[in-house]
Amino acid sequence: MSELSVNHLLGIKYLKEEDIQLIFETADHFKEVINRPIKKVPSLRDITIANLFFENSTRTKLSFELAEKRLSADVINFSSAQSSVKKGESLIDTVNNILSMKVDMVVMRHPNPGAGVFLSKHVNASIVNAGDGAHEHPTQALLDSYSIRERLGDVKGKKVVIVGDILHSRVALSNIYALQLQGAQVMVCGPKTLIPKYIDKLGVKVETNLRKALNWCDVANMLRVQNERMDISYFPSTREYTQQFGVSKDLLNSLDKEITIMHPGPINRGVEITSDVADSKQSIILDQVQNGVAVRMAVIYLLASKIKQ
Amino acid sequence: MNILIKSATIIDSKSEFHNTTQDLLIENGVIVKVSNSIKNPNNYQEVKLDNLHISQGWFDSSVSFGEPGFEERETIQNGLKTAASSGFTAVVVNANTNPVVDKNSDITFINSKSNNHAVALLPIGALTVGSKGSDLAELYDMNTAGAVAFYDYKKPISNPNLMKIALQYASNFDGLVCSFPQENKISGHGVMNEHITSTTLGLKGIPALAEELQVSRDLFLLEYTGGKLHIPTISTATSVALIREAKKKKLNITCSVAIHNLYFTDNVLTDFNTHFKVLPPLRTKTDVEALIEGVKDGTIDMVTSDHNPIDIEHKKIEFDHAKHGTIGLESAFGALQKIFTTKKTIDILTKGKSRFGIEKSTINIGNEPNITLFNPDTKYTFSINDIVSKSKNAIFENEDLKGKVYGIISNNKIVLNA
Repeated sequence: MSELSVNHLLGIKYLKEEDIQLIFETADHFKEVINRPIKKVPSLRDITIANLFFENSTRTKLSFELAEKRLSADVINFSSAQSSVKKGESLIDTVNNILSMKVDMVVMRHPNPGAGVFLSKHVNASIVNAGDGAHEHPTQALLDSYSIRERLGDVKGKKVVIVGDILHSRVALSNIYALQLQGAQVMVCGPKTLIPKYIDKLGVKVETNLRKALNWCDVANMLRVQNERMDISYFPSTREYTQQFGVSKDLLNSLDKEITIMHPGPINRGVEITSDVADSKQSIILDQVQNGVAVRMAVIYLLASKIKQ
Repeated sequence: MNILIKSATIIDSKSEFHNTTQDLLIENGVIVKVSNSIKNPNNYQEVKLDNLHISQGWFDSSVSFGEPGFEERETIQNGLKTAASSGFTAVVVNANTNPVVDKNSDITFINSKSNNHAVALLPIGALTVGSKGSDLAELYDMNTAGAVAFYDYKKPISNPNLMKIALQYASNFDGLVCSFPQENKISGHGVMNEHITSTTLGLKGIPALAEELQVSRDLFLLEYTGGKLHIPTISTATSVALIREAKKKKLNITCSVAIHNLYFTDNVLTDFNTHFKVLPPLRTKTDVEALIEGVKDGTIDMVTSDHNPIDIEHKKIEFDHAKHGTIGLESAFGALQKIFTTKKTIDILTKGKSRFGIEKSTINIGNEPNITLFNPDTKYTFSINDIVSKSKNAIFENEDLKGKVYGIISNNKIVLNA
């Protein structure tokens, strides 16, 4: 397979397993590139990309921008924590205005689930979803799997537990799809108030006891509690959350085996993981960040090569 | 009005001509002769149509026509035209307006807009002032102006004591109170049914529980107050079961279901198509099956199109921001016939009138004709060309439907589709 089966990256659920393998093989090449003294390739000199962030983001935005620049694409940025709707302009109009300046690709983060899907039906550009509400965050899931593959050799057959706020998480959903597509087993773990009632129908295990979950898994992906998405308290206090769902070095040391710790960031140190866990050899958190650039380069490169056709 | 209808199959179980094919002579607005062959006595307008069937005029217990305040969505005149063209001779119009219809003069305004139309427009008044859910509107005063029921459109009465008082107060003049079945604290910011599809889409779910809690509450209140309650648009299997039990207890309760809740499940939402964003939301297969069973056994009294025109600016946007609602009058007959037999479909479309104070008029000699004309066998794909409404938000767009309407004869007028 030499090209993606899709024209947009809207979510992992729209991909095939071969797409993921192609992205990883392409990312392998780009990872080598970004570790050279000259970290740049001229591949996308004729491509203009707009990064539209309708929701706050630091690392994802930087990672995309860096990936685009390493590929020599022209990049424009638009950030607005307010959704365009509040300003009175519709999303389609905002994006069409930007596209009329001859933009080829749109990388979009948006607070509403399905915003990328919606846009892909109504505007004429390749869309990369950089996170849409609690729906998907496909590049995060790709870089997570890529990092597991790098650390453990393969994703297939591995047991991965996603811990924390599953209810409000796009990272969880994209990871579930990506891991299952590659033949991994997935468990979610957290307080019952933060686990969607029907998540088991996706074929994932559900566990509310962190120790049991960690003893089961090869990899634990620790999610941040997304207080900003909560309209009421789903647990009484952060302290109590940490007592039940925080990973400490003592807890890790007491397990039967050595597991790998991941986190999509930003970390709340002392809440979902303690500092000594975040900085330990078992943690691949900073590898994830570096791999993020390579994986995003791969995604953009592969989608851009479809535009060129 | 003098008309000769040729060769019409009469579907009206109350008529002595039920299930027979007849000519009907209407003179001076009255059916004067029904026979298998009538000669045109005096150059009367002749209605001769392919596979013509006629029934009592159809009734819809929940439509919205925008006016006043949402004329960009729909106007009363065009709404009535839509109803007539879709086979309806009487429709109940919601206080889904701006300002909300909550006073005697508002009811009079609605009535003045529909005077002398072939379609009877029956206004609902808001149950609370401005449909804000805090103080009762002047129910009696609206009743005297012609309000047929009291309902805060799609807004639950959160305060149980207010609902108790509303039921008690309206019973003084035999008023019909409607209660939207949703507990808002449970539904939260939900935009679709809570189940596997909402989980995969990352959209906030409205649990079936939100509806069932409210239905239970209202049935307890009704048992206490002894009033007269209608629950519009139920959507879950447990709601059907709760109301079935309440009817066994002889509570004065009726309910309705929207046609789209009988036809679609939440599976259709997989690509965030806002045409499928409705309230109550599309539910699961189990719910759909239970609702259909509820219609068949009479637990559910009425089936409604829940016709709600929404302009494109409020539909062609992100799913979270899109307004709930679909138009449905135009597709009602064709969609129902995909679920039920023609006989059952007609039974459904003519039920519930008395609850809203309309007399039934059978197709018999001596009666004024209140008739819908249709061909039950036409198969077609519902498209934007079939839409009469000003707004085009049709949940049934691109669905294969069965049965087309020719028109109506009602209120001494005939309206035929071109």
